[in-house]
Amino acid sequence: MRFSLFIYLLFTAAATQAVEPPLPAKISFNRDIRPIMSDTCFHCHGFDPKTREAGLRLDIREEALKPSENDLLGIVPGKPDKSEIILRIFDEEDPMPPEKAHKPLTSRQKALFRQWVAEGAHYEPHWAYATLTKPAPSAGGHAVDAFIQAKLAEKNIQPSPEAAKSKLVRRLSLDLTGLPPSPQTVAALVSGRKSYDDLVTELLASPRFGERMAVWWLDIARYADTVGFHGDQNQRIFPYRDYVINAFNSNKRFDQFTIEQLAGDLLPEAKEEQLVATGYNRLNMMTREGGAQPKEYLAKYGAERVRSVAAAWFGSTFGCAECHDHKFDPIKAQDFYELQAFFADMKQWGVYSDYRYTPEPELAGFNNEFPFPPEIQVKSAYLEKRHRAAQAELDAHLQAQRTKQTAVSQAWLDSTAAFLKSHPTGWSAPVPSVRLLTNGKPAAEKKAASPDAPAIDEKAVVRLKNALGKGQTLEITLPLDAASSIAAVQIEVLEEGTPPEKPVTLSVSASVQPAKGKARPVRFTMADASLKWATHKAGAEVMGIEQGWFLPQGKQTQPMRGVWLTEAPVVAKAGDKLVLTLSGTSTRPVRVSFSSVAATSTQQLLSGEIVNALQTTPEKRNAAQQTLIWESWFASAAPDVEAVKKSRDLAKAVRDWNEGRAWTLITKPTEKPLTVKVLPRGNWQDESGPVVLPATPSFLPARIESQDGKRLSRLDLAKYIVSKENPITARTVMNRLWHQFFGNGLSAVLDDLGSQGELPSHPELLDWLASEFRESGWDMKHMIRLMVTSATYKQSSSLRPELKDIDPANRLLASQNPRRLDAEFIRDNALSISGLLNLDEIGGPSAKPYQPAGYYAALQFPSRDYISATDRTQWRRGVYMHWQRTFLHPMLANFDAPARDECAAIRTSSNTPQQALTLLNDPSFVEAARVFADRVLREGTDDKRRLQVAAELAWSREPKPKEIESLTTFLTTQREHYKANPADADKLVKVGLAPPSNIPAPELAAWTQVCRVLLNAQETITRY
Amino acid sequence: MSEAALNTTRRYFLGQCTGVSIGAMALNSLAGEDAIGLPSLPHFAPKAKRVIFLTQSGGPSQLELFDHKPGLMQWAGKELPESVRNGQRLTTMTANQKQLVLPGITKFSQHGQSGATVSEWLPHLGRVADDLCFIKSMTTDQINHAPAMTQFLTGHQLPGRPSMGSWISYGLGSANKNLPDYLVLISKMQRPSDQPLYDHYWGSGFLPSRYQGVKLRNSKDPVLYLSDPDGLPRHLRRGMLDGLAELNQMRFEQTYDPEITTRIRQYEMAYRMQASVPELTDLSEEPEHVFEMYGPDSRRAGSYAANCILARRLAERGVRFIQLFHPDWDHHSRLPSWCTARCRDTDQPSAALIKDLKQRGLLDETLVIWGGEFGRGVAGQGQWDSPEAGRDHHPRCFTMWMAGGGVKPGMTYGSTDEFSYNVAENPVHVRDLHATVMHLLGIEHERFTFRSQGLDFKLTGVELARVVKDILA
Repeated sequence: MRFSLFIYLLFTAAATQAVEPPLPAKISFNRDIRPIMSDTCFHCHGFDPKTREAGLRLDIREEALKPSENDLLGIVPGKPDKSEIILRIFDEEDPMPPEKAHKPLTSRQKALFRQWVAEGAHYEPHWAYATLTKPAPSAGGHAVDAFIQAKLAEKNIQPSPEAAKSKLVRRLSLDLTGLPPSPQTVAALVSGRKSYDDLVTELLASPRFGERMAVWWLDIARYADTVGFHGDQNQRIFPYRDYVINAFNSNKRFDQFTIEQLAGDLLPEAKEEQLVATGYNRLNMMTREGGAQPKEYLAKYGAERVRSVAAAWFGSTFGCAECHDHKFDPIKAQDFYELQAFFADMKQWGVYSDYRYTPEPELAGFNNEFPFPPEIQVKSAYLEKRHRAAQAELDAHLQAQRTKQTAVSQAWLDSTAAFLKSHPTGWSAPVPSVRLLTNGKPAAEKKAASPDAPAIDEKAVVRLKNALGKGQTLEITLPLDAASSIAAVQIEVLEEGTPPEKPVTLSVSASVQPAKGKARPVRFTMADASLKWATHKAGAEVMGIEQGWFLPQGKQTQPMRGVWLTEAPVVAKAGDKLVLTLSGTSTRPVRVSFSSVAATSTQQLLSGEIVNALQTTPEKRNAAQQTLIWESWFASAAPDVEAVKKSRDLAKAVRDWNEGRAWTLITKPTEKPLTVKVLPRGNWQDESGPVVLPATPSFLPARIESQDGKRLSRLDLAKYIVSKENPITARTVMNRLWHQFFGNGLSAVLDDLGSQGELPSHPELLDWLASEFRESGWDMKHMIRLMVTSATYKQSSSLRPELKDIDPANRLLASQNPRRLDAEFIRDNALSISGLLNLDEIGGPSAKPYQPAGYYAALQFPSRDYISATDRTQWRRGVYMHWQRTFLHPMLANFDAPARDECAAIRTSSNTPQQALTLLNDPSFVEAARVFADRVLREGTDDKRRLQVAAELAWSREPKPKEIESLTTFLTTQREHYKANPADADKLVKVGLAPPSNIPAPELAAWTQVCRVLLNAQETITRY
Repeated sequence: MSEAALNTTRRYFLGQCTGVSIGAMALNSLAGEDAIGLPSLPHFAPKAKRVIFLTQSGGPSQLELFDHKPGLMQWAGKELPESVRNGQRLTTMTANQKQLVLPGITKFSQHGQSGATVSEWLPHLGRVADDLCFIKSMTTDQINHAPAMTQFLTGHQLPGRPSMGSWISYGLGSANKNLPDYLVLISKMQRPSDQPLYDHYWGSGFLPSRYQGVKLRNSKDPVLYLSDPDGLPRHLRRGMLDGLAELNQMRFEQTYDPEITTRIRQYEMAYRMQASVPELTDLSEEPEHVFEMYGPDSRRAGSYAANCILARRLAERGVRFIQLFHPDWDHHSRLPSWCTARCRDTDQPSAALIKDLKQRGLLDETLVIWGGEFGRGVAGQGQWDSPEAGRDHHPRCFTMWMAGGGVKPGMTYGSTDEFSYNVAENPVHVRDLHATVMHLLGIEHERFTFRSQGLDFKLTGVELARVVKDILA
């Protein structure tokens, strides 16, 4: 039985292919002939002269009518029997296409050709490149429906009835926001309290709309958090993602959106947001691999940009033209490189590091932890909020402490005043003694006096003669007065002599050496510098200098001061000395000093504000100064050491949020663009090709070219892309948008509207949408509203078995198409149903949900661990998930999210055992089920009511009696097990970070199982 | 038939058969679809039923392992003649260094009836030389690891194309209902290696993701998310899947959505994998003499040797494409110590795998492939005559071997010039290797295409690729 059924399946497949529709009454070149020609003829008789055979060219009518090299007439209009192509098509001995091409024509295809020639061999321009004019709908009412229903009527097909209201709400909500509707929203629509159109308005205005649409665009823009090649290091780019989300939310005109991304930096008086947008051009993969050849990688980056731009806005596959003229489309190799030349002005490096064998002096000191310039620093609303929160926490802590211990002791005030009287700057720099140590040990006495010994002058400046050798440190010892208090240490670095060519390092440790006995170590808590060369960890700037101070290369105009706060002030006894041990590669002169004035943060000392406050006469001190003095006292003399420590930790957190600043990749133009040549066969080592200048593709209308002395810019390209003359952009974008709401593009091959793509199922509708899009001012929300308010959209998605022969793929849209949710929304949906989803704000650094341990084990340069979030960012939406190109989060990868190595206009939708395992066992989903169970138990009063609550949350509908019955039986078995095995229950309800529930574990575990079933159900992950 | 067409057919078919019970249907389509791959394949009777690809990542040195060049001694320390080098590219690491010849630093001897030359560093492999077919004239286009490995495995230097294993999985499916068609095993090294192994090396590119290689990890979860959450005994898991299937089935009866039946089937497969994968990776039942044959490292879980035993177990279970990765063949320095360490890891287990397959009667139907993304250059890197010397990458020639599955045993094909710098005769480009592997599996590579972005892609790409007929048994 099993085998015979399988045979039957094969047979059905074969039979389906064999049934061919009758010949049309009249041939349409684009519908009937071009696709066959493109697939079977153009390779040898098309655009590319290098592969053209017999001199016969079939893509242009005039050429096809000319005699070939052997004087045969390819096409004689009206006379198939005199036309060589027809004779050869039917020639059994020597057929065309030749057997070796493995592309035999079917008898219907042959008949189409014959009929076409007989009817006069009329050509039509390729639909996607033809001028865009707005067709009139054949009927009144909703234009979308008029076009769709006209086609259905031709075939005598009735559209499907409107889907049930509850289904419609869920469909709309998932389509517009990527989240399910709340049961309250469903109820409001079902009861008629809210209209469908009002819900459309509401959802389009929701901030969740931008998060949903961004996923669509981020695939196209190949947005990722890592560079993709080799070490796949982090790149800093999240503000671009937030720009995209905000652009959809604010309904930025799509033409403006395009221009800003491609050329925002070239706009007059470019705004910050427009610079952030140019991160788009930087989202190609990059490398920092040692041994990689910069020129080769520049060629790769350039070629990728062409492919991505062409795919994103032209819906065209330019890839082939990197090596040769396109075989099927009129895309020439020259077009490829001319498009590339638009981007030749971008500041970039082939290899983002400064290797001995490939020097890049601008990147001196870069290692695998470093970012990928050029970048700018911008304010992130998300981070600013974090910064404000951290500041508020610090303020509250200090305020609480001040309430407890208001009085600043007079003794402390007196001693501080005394210190400041001797040291008005707040810093004491007695002339020190110095010596060089090797591996912590001093050199023999006589060597200490050698010419290598560091020099000290009367201003306490220490000068090294040579750089410190391996294992060498510089010990600087300051004499201390009895009872002097050391609250902070300062190192001033002097600008003197030849500035270093590379960044140099300076680290310090300290101890107090009594006259007799062992030194007592002095521990620092927080350290910062007035000027530093930024170092990085995993692409993020290291904020303080606790781990070492990097001094910039070259001459400096700003003072270089580093300040280290001690954990608590150290009070010297008679004969004590302060010993500072310096290490690193810096050879610049230094002066070290200490201060008795304590502070909450280094900034208060670096700015001198505390010293100022203390030196202001008491009655003139303002409130802020009084607070500073209180803080200084608190940090010096407060009895509660833990409270001081906490204030320092909070101060460090405030500092590390960096006032909400974030770096982001941008496009920076250079004066001298790279020379772009046509690379023969795409070989970057072959310099023989002609130099090209920027020009728009030759196969599109209204081509613009660089002229002598006037080089076209990215801005020219961007404006051309959204110009009235260019028909392809609006068609490309509308075709893709249609796919979002109807499951198929009007032309199903979203990434290729060229001749290897597909003639649209409804060409007039696509042209109408494209025209409307342009006329509306490139208004995305307007177009989305048009689509989702159509009757076509609202149809039921139930399969229509009776249409299986007429319209097997439902291209005529006699019903809606069900669609499995995209990876991010499968996650969002589960989190939303459970109530775990974190919708606090938009944007911010990428989030790291649970991921299997060791998943990045193979990553090197640098090797790294994935540390999953331990706070509410654990439950952020999928759009914010960290996108590691080479090791994409397995949940995303298993549900077909692309790595985003290149523009991905369409996601496959597979159905695999790994998806089952993910939904079953990924802790994110198990945790969601547990929290969902808790919610259901709290919101429902008995089993039946609870199942109803669960179904309403998961499916936006009432469960059917059979479903209740089935789930109840299941619940019973689970309950029995977990009641009998409470230890199992305890384990199951512990998954995840979410706070534990007060519901008894066996009951919660049983319901967790029920909720896992619901979250795994096909209906839950499908938008019907 | 394309995936889209298959889906469409499925949609019809299920639309018609609403009377048939869903469970039966799921079972039947299991046998019908996953197991067989594309109906049009194979194009002709295959010689090999499956592939074990022992991928040596980093570029093993042909000069030390197989490509014996005794004549090089007289060139030791002399500059490589420009007539040989002919302006070929170098990596930037050695581009500014003189190209001084470093003769192979190992001894070679001839083995077996075929008299194959194999290095003293590979004594076990020497003993099975009569079962191997050496190709000494391999050549590729890429000089850096990631692009070269990407081309070696997917036919194109940029990520985004399906790997060979994915193509085979897509085309031929698997004979095992309980395991994925394409499994990947990566050696756990004693010391971390430098060259990353990216997911796209076994990725499915534009093919549906169900054809991507599934990595068997050396951890609690050999397949990601394989383990149930704590507190869930297996009988409860079965009950849960039944509950889920029931729910899904009710939904199907309302909508006829064909994705539901596939989903039910995939949950069944996941369930079976939860049993079959731990059973597969549990080597405790293997007899003592097997560990002895594969060498001492085979007792270390995750080692190349242990993975070779797993490869044999996978072959026994009918898995279509089994790919091992052994990293760290990138010997830029310290050839004598570094390269021998990798030989020690792999020599005995690779040879044991051949013997083991042979004695179980599996070698004839299993194609074993050994090789890396490129070879290494004849010039010493660093001070050529010090033990610190290594060799830089060399794409122009390298050696691979194959065994079993329709390949002539005891044969050496192709040769290089006296410097092991250029191919002297019978070049085999990476795409020729791909065409040949396909051929052995009964696939005509020119006719096995997948349409993406409007183009018909194939593993062998757009350049002419040839099946190396001379090595076919």
